[in-house]
Amino acid sequence: MKGGIVTITQLVFNFLSLCKLEPVHIRQGVWQVQVDEALMKELDGWRAQARLLQFTFEQKLAESYGAELITSGSYRLNTILQVIRKQGVLSHAHIPHEIFHEPSIRKKVLQNIGFDRRAYVLNSALHYGQYLLLDINVTQLGLDKVESIHHTTINLSTGEVLNFTLPPHLIQGGTTVPKESVLKRKCSFKQAYANATASICSELNRGDQDWIKQANHKLASEKKRLAEFFEGTTTLSQYEAKLKELEHRLTPKIQMDAIRGAILYVPIFYYRLVVVEPGGKERIQNLYYDPISNREELE
Amino acid sequence: MQETFTDFVINTKKDGYSCPFSLEISIQGFQAIVTELRKKRFDTWDWFSLARCGDQLALNQQQSPELLALEYLKERWQQSGVVPYPHQIMTAKQVIGEMQGQAILADEVGLGKTIEAGLVLKEYLLRGLAKKILILTPASLLWQWYHELSEKFGVVAGIQRTQWDWEYTDILIASLDTAKREPHAPIITSIPYDLLIIDEAHKLKNNNTQAYRFVNTIQKKYCLMLTATPIQNDLKELYNLIGLIKPGQLGSYRSFKERFVEDKRTPKNPQELRKLLDQVMIRNRRDEGAVQFTKRLVHPIILSLTPREQEIYERVTHFVQTTGRRAGYTNILPLITLQREVCSSFLATAFTLEKMMVNMAQEDLAIAAGLLKDLAEVKQNSKCDALEKLIGELEDKIIIFTEYKASQEYIRYRLEKAGYRTLAFDGTLSRGKKQWIRYMFQKDAQILVSTESGGEGLNFQFCNQVINFDLPWNPMRLEQRIGRVHRLGQERDVHIYNLITKDTIEEHIMYLLHQKINMFESIIGELDAILLHLKLGKSFESEIMEIFLAHQKQGEIREKLDLLGEQILHGQAQIKASSWELY
Repeated sequence: MKGGIVTITQLVFNFLSLCKLEPVHIRQGVWQVQVDEALMKELDGWRAQARLLQFTFEQKLAESYGAELITSGSYRLNTILQVIRKQGVLSHAHIPHEIFHEPSIRKKVLQNIGFDRRAYVLNSALHYGQYLLLDINVTQLGLDKVESIHHTTINLSTGEVLNFTLPPHLIQGGTTVPKESVLKRKCSFKQAYANATASICSELNRGDQDWIKQANHKLASEKKRLAEFFEGTTTLSQYEAKLKELEHRLTPKIQMDAIRGAILYVPIFYYRLVVVEPGGKERIQNLYYDPISNREELE
Repeated sequence: MQETFTDFVINTKKDGYSCPFSLEISIQGFQAIVTELRKKRFDTWDWFSLARCGDQLALNQQQSPELLALEYLKERWQQSGVVPYPHQIMTAKQVIGEMQGQAILADEVGLGKTIEAGLVLKEYLLRGLAKKILILTPASLLWQWYHELSEKFGVVAGIQRTQWDWEYTDILIASLDTAKREPHAPIITSIPYDLLIIDEAHKLKNNNTQAYRFVNTIQKKYCLMLTATPIQNDLKELYNLIGLIKPGQLGSYRSFKERFVEDKRTPKNPQELRKLLDQVMIRNRRDEGAVQFTKRLVHPIILSLTPREQEIYERVTHFVQTTGRRAGYTNILPLITLQREVCSSFLATAFTLEKMMVNMAQEDLAIAAGLLKDLAEVKQNSKCDALEKLIGELEDKIIIFTEYKASQEYIRYRLEKAGYRTLAFDGTLSRGKKQWIRYMFQKDAQILVSTESGGEGLNFQFCNQVINFDLPWNPMRLEQRIGRVHRLGQERDVHIYNLITKDTIEEHIMYLLHQKINMFESIIGELDAILLHLKLGKSFESEIMEIFLAHQKQGEIREKLDLLGEQILHGQAQIKASSWELY
């Protein structure tokens, strides 16, 4: 299953398929599926029992056949969404090395050595570097609440946050990567999280800030009103409490929280090069090339 | 490499922003990821990709400008027959969008303030804007709130029982009277709530009360206050209420008085005041066509007592009048009860009389003993005969209301004997039992015999026939009875059958409630405010009793009741004129 935008129908069928359930199409637009007790409990709480779930995606059919309606905002969709969203907190995946055309990479690496120097490959190997995919939920709380999900990718070798989203079709689930070929990460997870949130902050910084202005304006006018109300009274503690309450309610906020993450193994091409300097002197150098970050590291 | 989170400081730059804001970076989600990593628990990439799609889909739903709760609850409401009214949806949108969750919901009685508050609550929950929620209500409404939230909104709240609940239950329903007391109050005020809902908020109209001071100190992000009567006697009440959710909205009290108060009940600059009120208060009115209520159809059934019953009635009335006059109208509560019971059933009268005899003066004791003997001997009950006949003619579910437990038992005995299956409902039942009986009534039985206290706080919209076996003297209590079935969600016209015994005090009560103030067919609404406005200085029942004790001629009694009825109508008009022009 690849990421991307899916419809409600796709989501439900993918969910059932992952639960190893096969819905039966009983009539146009209406399906039935026998759901076991464990899943029903997940969906409807501890009292639920195994049952035949009849569902549809159309209001009219739901009324005609007494099927459960699965549509935007419906109860059943919400219970399915709740179960789905509890899954996949952490996963791992890799980008297969075959995707990259190694001879082209080798050529590019050798060209990058410089015009006045020559180099040839003594030997080469394939390693894997680690990336952290973090989905971060960002809530902008002003007069309204606006939520967004940011998919960030952090290079765990450098701590760098990629400024683009990896195309989902490149990523394959699970890992067939040999352990010994995985390069150690140099960036801690918490540093990676910190970098990701900082990157989102600067992204938001470049965006529209009217919502902050509006909320601050409202806060200022409410504060003024409150101050007038308490003017001349001796109930300072009450005023402070009300002021605190007001600030808590109206101060614009940005809240961030990670919702899920995945370790992504990315092929790193290693070359042991013999570099011939203009004077004819030869040096041996190790070069790691990361095709995702398009970064070379020379040792 | 081991990660530690204690020294986790994230360097983020806020400098680029032109305005101040706060940045909160949570490590909760990140910690969960790292924990999985340490335990080497990797999910498959397929699940990961699906979860990502799920995140995006959920987010798209969240960003919808429409209320998420409406879509979410659509099916639930279809199944349970709940139809949200446009004014309720508009109100919820306005509270969330324009009022930033700080509002007084002041709809007139019966327009569904609870539904509006529930919608706002659900919306905040779905949007992830509220987690810790406190609902403060009168104790009698705790279970009603619980069921409304659970049945209509799929929100399972807790009902506060111990002092630990405040901290450990995210959505809690509690009685305001309990909450304001030690040891609860300090715990509550130390907790920051996302949403605070206060039902019957007019109880907080006085800023010198403990309840007001307590609510004022609760830390809250969003606050909803529900009341049908934001002003009862004084504009200051409204000022106080608004001060709880948005202090300063109407300026300081001094400036408020100068700018907006003509006298206690008359506003100055009503247009300007309304503008300010519109920012914090929403009031939907019935006459604006917000809701089309079904009709109330009244069927008075006048029945005659047998000569023997009539004779005993007269004797009991005479006994009540002489004893009451002798006592100088003081301590007349037992006498009122006796007089009311004699119109209900002789069994109930006998029980009360027997209790009264313990402290009775010697001169009355012989009369009371004679009465008691005669009451016990009468086997006939014309009212119950009429009731049996009426039930025989009715189909569908019926609620029979009586004020007295003895009458309730007698009615059930008679009906069961006649082959009807009945259920009993009274104030002594536990909350769980009440719910169970309500469920049984809805699913199975045809007849529910209830005392008023039994029906309090529970709704029976699935039933549309009410029989008043006896009439309460207080219009508030009558409205509460009818309000159990005639409210939002009732799809059929409601039939109210009143069993009235001819030539008794009941006939006069019926005249006052039905002909004079047209209590049955129209919802008077704000009755509690009106009765308060009358400033009787005693209970409404005592007022009526005194009329009976002071006057023997039927014409005089009628005249006095006319006057009382006029007072009620006048009070209603005055309240409307003084405050309602604001909304």
